[in-house]
This record gives sequence, structure tokens and C-alpha cells, in this order.
Amino acid sequence: MNLIEDNPQGITKADIVVGIPSFNEAPLISFPTQQADKGLSKYFSDRTGVIINCDNHSPDGTREAFMQTASETPKMYLSTEDGVRGKGNNLLNLFKKAVELKAKAVVVVDADLKSITPMWIRSLAEPLFDEYQFVSPLYVRHKYDGTITNNIAYPLTRALYGRRVRQPIGGDYGISGELLETYLTSQVWDENVANFGIDIWMTTLAVRSGAPVIQSFMGRPKIHKPKDPASELQGLFHNVVGTLFELMCRFDAFWKDVKWSRPTAVFGFGLADLELPPVVNVDIKKFWQSFLSGVSGRWDLYTRVLTSQNLNKLEEVAGLPEEGFEFPTGLWAKVLYDFAVAYRDRIADGTELIDALIPLYQGKTLSFVLETQAMNTQQVEEFVEDQCLQFEKSKQYLLERWFAG
Amino acid sequence: MAKILIVDDEEGIRMLYSMELQDEGYEVVTRPDGKNLLTVVDEEKPDCIILDIKMREYSGLDLLQELRRKYYNLPVILNSAYSSFKVDLKAVAADYYVVKSSDLRELKEKLKIALETRIPCP
Repeated sequence: MNLIEDNPQGITKADIVVGIPSFNEAPLISFPTQQADKGLSKYFSDRTGVIINCDNHSPDGTREAFMQTASETPKMYLSTEDGVRGKGNNLLNLFKKAVELKAKAVVVVDADLKSITPMWIRSLAEPLFDEYQFVSPLYVRHKYDGTITNNIAYPLTRALYGRRVRQPIGGDYGISGELLETYLTSQVWDENVANFGIDIWMTTLAVRSGAPVIQSFMGRPKIHKPKDPASELQGLFHNVVGTLFELMCRFDAFWKDVKWSRPTAVFGFGLADLELPPVVNVDIKKFWQSFLSGVSGRWDLYTRVLTSQNLNKLEEVAGLPEEGFEFPTGLWAKVLYDFAVAYRDRIADGTELIDALIPLYQGKTLSFVLETQAMNTQQVEEFVEDQCLQFEKSKQYLLERWFAG
Repeated sequence: MAKILIVDDEEGIRMLYSMELQDEGYEVVTRPDGKNLLTVVDEEKPDCIILDIKMREYSGLDLLQELRRKYYNLPVILNSAYSSFKVDLKAVAADYYVVKSSDLRELKEKLKIALETRIPCP
């Protein structure tokens, strides 16, 4: 992959690198750049730093918007060649450059962040100078924001690898120079990782490597550019779930020995965010319709993927009325485990399999929404914790299926 | 036999937990506060700590942060009469949060899980 580089200040070494991956973020990238600059100046004035925009050759002027943002900290622009897309590809370029710069700490923040403050840079970087190697963000999200996180990425990662990283696909991270080497020598790299699978890939590799992980309290909710969940679902879902399943195949010798889960350390100050996250509205009717129409044409595939007991229970769930609809978490965990086994065994093409999982995920999300409608943020957190425990309890089922015969 | 360290400023709680957990086959040591907790952990080498949050001169949540720096993998169960500290994000660093009750079933269940938890070294 050819790299496009613009390094006007000729930076060859930096203790801290702040990376901002982007594609077509010209209107928004200046703000996180300014905040990163303030954070580096305020909290790390005794260290050398550089802010790097790692881009996908955006045609909208992202490069100009970034490079023209006034900052005390030097800036550098990196890009994939024209036509090469993917957040993962951007971060791979960033990691290679950070190693070249002999960076001790790399902070990654999204280009469309509206709530980032200079403190975020401190929260994500400081633990890296204190023996920790991977910093994941802790922020309050609206109960209906991050449904892939709440219903798949967090409970599955936690049950498999045994660490409770609440935002495994949060998008904002701190990474030590040592962990970069682990990333760059990883044998797992595919199209999903090169796109939005990169977040779960980074978290999983960090936990799998045994590197000390810490979660940092960010002090503000994550507020970023609103995205259309319907159009985003396909790509994001495929990338995240495809990466999760692929990593399950590669690391089964590790996760078979993991039992229950452990917390991480926490870096932070004070009580939970006082600022409420923006409300995310969910179209219940649309989820219901997507679930029903999605499952209706796929029973043949479900018959091949699911055990007969889980198939029967799924048929029961699909027959429930909208009012009072519920997709039990215990069943959901087993369905995901069945799909992972089917992915490993190539029961069907990987894309077809993950496509078939989408309506079931929509059914589970609908159930999550209905069950948490009257709950406040803290109650939902406890609900999610309970879901995670059910995934952990059901892990024996996965072990029996995965290692059968 | 697993060794449990109970840190609580209420003598009644320390006595109750000691008796109940000893009956379950655990070895129990107690401390009335968080004074020199890291040294106590160094010396006693407990397999799990049951840590009160609201003590007269110490905050269990702050002690937990100190513990985590040195003992990243040591199981810690926060144990408080108040459920409100659950909203403090520092509580995330605990293995479990159990609200105090005269019925110790939940505490014993979480203790059992905490001691069974296994993450292999890669």
C-alpha cells in the first residue's frame, strides 16, 4: 500500500502521537485537532508530540482543513492512496509511523468528535506512562446508542477473553509503543479489520496479549456526528462481527481456558458524567418489521446453523406478538455461539452468515429497547452487566460445541 | 484454602463475615480500616479482598485505585450499605459490588466466582 505523507515540519521523533483517522471530515476535523493540541500543550509540555491526521485521501478537503488548523503542536498528514478506504488502513499507517517516530504513547480520537476536551488527551495518554499499555474510554452513552456494543461486542469479548472493557469499539484509545509492536506483527488482518473491525481487533489483541489494560473516565459523554443507523448497520455490523468471529477462530486456545471475567484498572476523577448524552431515538416498528421480514426467508440457513433446541426457541420468539416481545439473553448468547461455530466450520459463506444474523440482532435490540424503556442510565448499566453474566454462564455451551469431538 | 481479607470499620460486620466465611472453609483475616493496606496485602497475600467503601478515615474506592496499581489481578469485592456508589466510575475497577445484607448468599456467590475466575497468561 503506497503512503502519501505531508510532514512540513520534518518531524522525525515524538514521545506522544495523537492520531485522528478520517474520511471526508473537513467540516469537523479542526475541533478535535484544536483540543488535542491544547491537551498536549497543557498536560504534556515536557514531552515532544505530533498530531497526525491519517486519512483515506478524502476529496472534501479534510487534509487542508486539518493542516490549516492553528496549533502549537506540529502536524503531519498521512493518507492511503486514492481509492483505498477503511479506518483500519488509516490506523495501520498511523501505527507504522508512530513506531518510526519511536512514540511511547499513541492516542487515537475520532475526527467527528464534538465533545472532546483537552482532558481526553490526558486521560488516554497519562496511564501509558504508568505501566499501562492499552487505555479504553469510559463515558456515558445514551441507552440506545451503541447497541452493537451492548448486545454483542461487550458481552462476547468479556465472556471470551475475560476482561471487562466496556467500550471495546469506542473509537478513542491510548496505546503504548510496546503494544504497537504486537499490532504490527499480528497475523490477523483482513478486509473487516481494514475497515471498522479495527476497533474490536485492537481491543481483543490488547487483552489477548496480557498487556495491562485500563479504562479512563473521559468526563463528558461521547457526542459525534449523527449517523443513519440503517445505512451504517450493514458495513459496521459485518466488520465488527466478522472480526469477532475471525479472532475467535485464531485465539480459541486462549479463550477456552478463560473462566468468568475480571475488571480493569480505572483512571479517572469523580462521579459519573453530569452531562447527559444526546437522546437516540429508536423506531420500534421498523425494528419489528426488519426482524420479522429478515427471519422469514432464512429458516433453511438457521436450521443448518442453530442446534434444534435453539431453533425451536427462536421459532417461539419469532411467534411472539410485538407487544410483550422478548428475545431472552440466554438464547441470544447461544445463538451467537452457534453462529460462531458455523463461521468456523464454513457452514455457509461468511457474508451470508453474518447477513442472516442481522435480523436476529435486530430482534435482540428490539427486546433490549422494550425491556429498558423505563430505565435510567444506571439501571441500564446493571441490565447490561446482567446480560454479560448470562454470556459468561453460557460459555460452557460454547466450549462444548466448539470443541466437540 | 483461600484466604480472604475483610476491610471494614464495623466490628459487627467483621465478626459476622469472619464466622460465616470460616464456616465455608475460608481462612479469614480482618482489618478495621485501610491503613497501610498495600503493606497488609504484601504480608497477608490474600486471594480476595472484601472492601467496605465508606469508612471513617478511608474511602474504599480510593483504596481500590491504589490496589489496582500494584495488584492488577487481585479480586476485590466492594461491599457497602449504600448502592449509590455504584454510579461512581471508580467502582468499575472492582470485581463485584455487593450491597450489605444480613443474608450473605450474594456475597458468598460472588466470592466463589471471583476465586474461580481464570485468565491464562499468554
